[in-house]
Amino acid sequence: MSQITLREVSRWYGNVVAVNDVSFEVGAGITGLLGPNGAGKTTLLHMMAGFLAPSAGDVRIDDSPTWRHPEVYRRIGFVPEREAVHPFLTGRQFVHSSARLQGVKDPDAATERAIEMVDLREASGRAIGGYSKGMRQRVKVAASLVHDPEVLVLDEPFNGMDPRQRLHMMDLLRSMAAEGRTILFSSHILEEVERLSDRVLVVVAGRLAASGDFRRIRRLMTDRPHTFSVRSSDDRLLARELLASPEVQAVELHDGVLTVRTGDYGQLTRAVGPAAQRAGVSLLELRPADESLESVFSYLVHR
Amino acid sequence: MTAALLSLTLRGLLNRRRTLLLGLIGALVLLVAVIYRLSGPAEAEASTFTGRLLADFGLGVLLPLVAVIVGTAAIGSELDDGTILYLLAKPIPRMLIVAIKLLVAAGVVTVLVALPILLAGIIGTGGSASLGLAYAVAAAFGALEYTSVFLALSLVTSRALVIGLAYVVVWEGVVAGLFAGTRIFSVRQHALAVGDALAGDGAVTAELAAGSALLIGFTVTLLAFGLAVRRLERVELRGDSN
Repeated sequence: MSQITLREVSRWYGNVVAVNDVSFEVGAGITGLLGPNGAGKTTLLHMMAGFLAPSAGDVRIDDSPTWRHPEVYRRIGFVPEREAVHPFLTGRQFVHSSARLQGVKDPDAATERAIEMVDLREASGRAIGGYSKGMRQRVKVAASLVHDPEVLVLDEPFNGMDPRQRLHMMDLLRSMAAEGRTILFSSHILEEVERLSDRVLVVVAGRLAASGDFRRIRRLMTDRPHTFSVRSSDDRLLARELLASPEVQAVELHDGVLTVRTGDYGQLTRAVGPAAQRAGVSLLELRPADESLESVFSYLVHR
Repeated sequence: MTAALLSLTLRGLLNRRRTLLLGLIGALVLLVAVIYRLSGPAEAEASTFTGRLLADFGLGVLLPLVAVIVGTAAIGSELDDGTILYLLAKPIPRMLIVAIKLLVAAGVVTVLVALPILLAGIIGTGGSASLGLAYAVAAAFGALEYTSVFLALSLVTSRALVIGLAYVVVWEGVVAGLFAGTRIFSVRQHALAVGDALAGDGAVTAELAAGSALLIGFTVTLLAFGLAVRRLERVELRGDSN
């Protein structure tokens, strides 16, 4: 199991600070790197993959610094966002040459395995120059997997993929994570991150705005009301009772759905049961309604 | 690993259009030699004319032109289109990458220039191989030095082709012609010195002694190689917008 560690990392270009004093660790499993355009995601990924020197701080894969240490590429697979792939090679030749350059023992078998993993067998004999965007993306992933790396760093891996390919890639990443690999991917599509990983790193304006399980991050956002949806045997009665509770800020009954807003997540979850008991109704369901990554993300970005 | 690097470099370097263009440039010296032979020259002058053709056109025009195109493209084209990333994301010592790229590029230049020079020498002299061989060896030596300089240049600036051409035309073509002292820094003069010494016929009189030219030429090659390795070790990728 490998770990990516960033300690007090900054990167600037002249007067422009792209990444500002960022520290975090990424271990086994899937972690999503989120941020608006220009937030510094690609700069961070490039530093993690050893393609950019940190202006300050330290970027390591386990014990090895990534910058100017080509040996770390035995452990890393990197999928860049840029589409540039040697257009004169066929998909199979590209993956095969990656296997040979990696010094893989059986490059033929490794190539077939990687091509199979990304579901590109049919097109593997064609020149990459004629590939669609999604196919290029998959052949890049195959080339980055061919040496069976412990760490996989992917920059916007789902770009250009159709829904079926996207699901296939998500399954592939999940199965690789289940094998104990460390997978970090960036995306600007929240739904992708939400479906694939619980753990996120949110970067805003070059700084790490939050890291961890996004549902837990949501609960820490105490200056923003939490919303719950409630189902009971009599929502109207329960709504009246809940309004009397001091921790409830607002109650809404709309289209048969009871929505409750509170400033205190814990207090409300403890208050709903007794309120239902007092109202004499059966509580069927109490569910946080805004623990989506989107609500966390928009809060962090617009703060 | 080395074989994969070799074949990838060769395939990247010799795309169809570039190979055709360079092949045509190389064929020019052959064409001139054939036309000269067909014109029925006096045998006494054939050696002098052919010597001048190989030195002035072969080493003076053909060699730097092919070398600047191939040398700046060996790593430069991959840097330009971003495909260098796939090479750099491998556990390969950067010195090995530069060494193989340089050897392949110098080999390609040698084949494209030295071979036509050898053949043009044989045709121009009416069957003698010695003159052509002398300038072909000089071309191979010049190919290594030129290519190393242009390859290093492509890692220093994205305008390597323009600067390389300016060096060939302005420095070697004009400045070195006007000021004898600057010829020590002319790759063309180094190659000429080697060719002149090997041919030994006095058709072309080089300004530098062959020994000095070899010493300077190999020193420049080594320095350019070292600079290229240093630059490749520090190649950084910039994010587009994220």
